[in-house]
Amino acid sequence: MAQTMDPNNMPILSEASVSVEIETEDMTLNIGPQHPSTHGVLRLVAKINGEKISSVEPVLGYMHRGYEKLAEVRTYPQVTTLVNRIDWVSGFANEIPFIAGAEKLMEIEVPERAQYIRLILTEMARISSHFVFNGAFPLEIGALTPIFLAMEDRERVLDLLESVTGGRFHPNFNRIGGVKPAAGAGPTTKKDIQDLPAGFYHDTKVAMQKVLEAVDRFEDLIGGNEVFQIRTKNVGVLPKEVAEEYGVSGPILRASGVEFDLRKQSNYLPYDKFDFEIPIGENGDCFDRWSVRTSEMRESAKIILQAIDDMPSGPIQAKVPKVIKVPKGQTYVRAENPKGEMGYYIISEGGLGPYRLKIRTASFSNISILPIMLEGALLPDLIAIMGSLDFVLGDVDR
Amino acid sequence: MNQSDQNEFVNSIQSKFQNSSVEFDTLKIEVDSHSWIDTHKTLKAEFNLKFFNWLSAVDWDNDVKIGDAPKEPVTPSFEIISCLSKTNSDDLVISSTKISKEDPQIDSLVEVFGGANWHEREAYEMFGINFLNHPNLKKLYLPDAYEGNPLLKSFELISREVKPWPGDVDVEGMPEDNIVVSEEGS
Repeated sequence: MAQTMDPNNMPILSEASVSVEIETEDMTLNIGPQHPSTHGVLRLVAKINGEKISSVEPVLGYMHRGYEKLAEVRTYPQVTTLVNRIDWVSGFANEIPFIAGAEKLMEIEVPERAQYIRLILTEMARISSHFVFNGAFPLEIGALTPIFLAMEDRERVLDLLESVTGGRFHPNFNRIGGVKPAAGAGPTTKKDIQDLPAGFYHDTKVAMQKVLEAVDRFEDLIGGNEVFQIRTKNVGVLPKEVAEEYGVSGPILRASGVEFDLRKQSNYLPYDKFDFEIPIGENGDCFDRWSVRTSEMRESAKIILQAIDDMPSGPIQAKVPKVIKVPKGQTYVRAENPKGEMGYYIISEGGLGPYRLKIRTASFSNISILPIMLEGALLPDLIAIMGSLDFVLGDVDR
Repeated sequence: MNQSDQNEFVNSIQSKFQNSSVEFDTLKIEVDSHSWIDTHKTLKAEFNLKFFNWLSAVDWDNDVKIGDAPKEPVTPSFEIISCLSKTNSDDLVISSTKISKEDPQIDSLVEVFGGANWHEREAYEMFGINFLNHPNLKKLYLPDAYEGNPLLKSFELISREVKPWPGDVDVEGMPEDNIVVSEEGS
């Protein structure tokens, strides 16, 4: 028995198969609400047959805070503090469509410099959100290293965000008609408003170079990893027709081969002035979703570097009345957030606050696809599929 | 996206649907609740609006327990609003229909767009609107035993009842509202 095993002649375990089929009753497996891979408190009630999932029912509401109701009892400037907390991984980006909607109803022209500052900070929020994804997704399927690198890299971007806005996660930096003077800019007078902290351009350039290096490193470390590829390639394939029917947007839709990005199609911020590409996936599997997001970070860094070089001078705040009253009207303004399309349907009746505010969040529609994607999938793939959707429960439950 | 393409789309929608308007760059059509499903089928098939964006409702009421009431009196009703868009341009259409508050029910859109499922469940629990032929009409966010429909204008926020919102101070007391601040006794 004491034979040495010849490594060239080992039996391949994955090719072994069992030909006996035993019918068993489905087992109900309750995953969550407190499970590390659910990014918060999502609960899944899964019916499984052996390793195979026969059906999944997501149970939502553990993070429901009723923002649509709360917005009805707040004034417009107060609502921005709420919307910061919807998708807390990219708080800054949540403010943009709401503020843009209120400005559209008030017919305010935002100064170009304020728009550029908004654009730069939105892209920083996107990079920071995708860093979290690049750390958390490999972690969920068993790779421990990337999260430490991603968190360190993200910190550089958050430092920049903090130096301008004063907040790392909840900047609350936009004002109707423009942006605040920067938090780190020192004392300001009415005549001479310092809108960005000293050394911001230099620090940003340095940080963006680091981001570009980090993206290269992640593509090598994560994308080049064979185990990662086996766990994600051809897993959780999402056809684009299904994605469209369910309102799945953002990187998930683009990974399925749809070239749709509101930064190119819409004009909520001056993205048309910059040269960048929209990464597209081919197969719509978990690997493509990872790869689209990672390539997007590179494009975002490119946009920021161009915007820094191209920064116009001028005021950062349009003239607005002291008490913000939005005239009667309805509008829907949407934006391309890191997680997908985010929009606000504002119904104003001329009061201090909105009569009704419908918040369209990306993650809500993105995870409504879960029951379809997980049907017939293997249980270990559930974690990979959920991780690749990159949702935040605050964005689902609002 | 250039301007002429956008106008072409708006014109084609407006020639098909009589009751339409463009307000603040938002194209909105108003239809009868009986043709709710047919409208969406037409928009999907003829106008290539395949992306189901969202669906929600509005409670139009003059008796508002919390928040601002409409400035001009409105006819109490529920307005169902849906948003469809495209995945190759910025075009989108807001469809709306009004239903009575006494018997709030409307056909479910799930047969046309599978994505309507969760949105309709949310509108069901938040407003108490009954979506006919919905495959799984139960509460989405709220606990099963929860009573009431939070987004109704008649629904009070208990926390505000207990402690008034401190933010009100900022809003009142502005010179525009002609509130004279007394300086006596200082």
